[in-house]
Amino acid sequence: MSLLKVESISYSVVVKGENKKRFDILKNVSFEVEAGEVVGICGESGGGKSTLAKVIAGLIQPDNGKITLDSKLNNKPSNPIQILFQNHGEVLNPFRKISSIIDETLTINRIHKQFIEKERENVLSSVGFPKELYNRRGFQLSGGEQQRAALARLLATNPVLLILDEPFSAQDVESQLNLVKLFKKLNKEFNLTMICISHDLIILRNLANHVIILKDGEIVESGKTNAVFRTPKMIYTKFLLSAEALDLSYEELMSESDL
Amino acid sequence: MLSVDINSVSILDVENRRALLTDIKFDLEKGKVYTILGKNGSGKSTLIKSLTSLLPKEEYETSGKVFFMDTDVLNCSEEILREIRKHNVRYVFQDAANSFDPLKKIKYYFNLSNISPLKIEELLLFFLLPTYKKLSILHSYELSGGMAQRLLIVLALLANPDLLILDEPTSGVDYAVMNLILLKIKNFVRDKDKSVLAVTQDINFALKSSDHIAYLSEGNLTQFYTPDEFLNSTDDKLRNFINSFKEISNVVT
Repeated sequence: MSLLKVESISYSVVVKGENKKRFDILKNVSFEVEAGEVVGICGESGGGKSTLAKVIAGLIQPDNGKITLDSKLNNKPSNPIQILFQNHGEVLNPFRKISSIIDETLTINRIHKQFIEKERENVLSSVGFPKELYNRRGFQLSGGEQQRAALARLLATNPVLLILDEPFSAQDVESQLNLVKLFKKLNKEFNLTMICISHDLIILRNLANHVIILKDGEIVESGKTNAVFRTPKMIYTKFLLSAEALDLSYEELMSESDL
Repeated sequence: MLSVDINSVSILDVENRRALLTDIKFDLEKGKVYTILGKNGSGKSTLIKSLTSLLPKEEYETSGKVFFMDTDVLNCSEEILREIRKHNVRYVFQDAANSFDPLKKIKYYFNLSNISPLKIEELLLFFLLPTYKKLSILHSYELSGGMAQRLLIVLALLANPDLLILDEPTSGVDYAVMNLILLKIKNFVRDKDKSVLAVTQDINFALKSSDHIAYLSEGNLTQFYTPDEFLNSTDDKLRNFINSFKEISNVVT
């Protein structure tokens, strides 16, 4: 069976000040992820991408639908599905040393004391976090450095599925290129399955085997990355691709938002 | 419009002083979009904050001169500085969601200035945000990251500043909104008295939006190039950055 099965997920919230009207954030979302795959999810802001990530990781309960993770893998001390969040600045405790944050995670995940130092080095170096920063505290790091530290902490739990929520948005191109290579390496060497949420099509072209295009909480198109991006079938996908070139007029932009 | 001649910006530690930026010299003309590109931690945010003395004096020391019109910004009174920050030079900071006070409703930020409701609705509509009626009763944590970002831009534009300073305007923003921000920036400087200074790592956006681009690395700023000159520059400091952009655009195998 697939590593992850997402079946008919729906999620809605009550709209404030509108007489308890419900607003659908996710509508009947279904897809599967095979072990070792990288699945990309793209779409516009507020389209439900981050909510979907949280539902998959079990952080919020969907109204309807079912998430199944291949169960024989499911006996770890930490959640086997880990998310690298968008607001990485809020994920790390700003007052704690990076080394102590990583050590704690390794301890929780039953790494024996004598191996901790080696493992700490392993995880931090696997994400390219420089050794001279090990004893810095969260607030002493730049945005990109914080993100690498946050990623290292997730890897320290040895996850089955890693969800990346816009991991590239705070990065410069050199770091993006390094991150793309890093995620590819993690995927290949450790067969780590990933879901990558990004509105950046360049990133998904580089990283994802399959892509899912999400709009207003619904999957509008999905398939092999090359096929979807080279010969898009749906109007919205075509719009995304033309918007990527950054030369749409206001009228063109508006005609899409009415769809 | 803005004339910058900063000798150095240093961070003060208990024991030592570390220079973050040295010899930052540039002039911004009216009617143009300027972008400073640079990698993570290169000092972009520090640079723009130093322009209007936003860096806390206990921790940072700035030496040099910054002139806005005829005002010596680094050596004027708090009152004048506050007026400049309120009316003339407006910032949109990175990590938009954290720029708001989570305990205040969005209404609070609109009440700070006297602006016609029509103008507000027009800008909210332009940026695909909910109507004022819906938006004003929300708290900042109820907005998505992209919405918070657009709202900050709306608030900055409503102040009708002479200079708009944007810190990573495209971070966490989708292509449709990137197009909108681009159109708005271009439109903003079309009024020949205004200019925009953006700092970002988004080289693609910089190339499309800017008249002039410079590169900040290790505390030093290159000259401003036109986008074409920038892409084809032979300056060693820029090469890695530009080559990474070209490599990632062609899909890494």
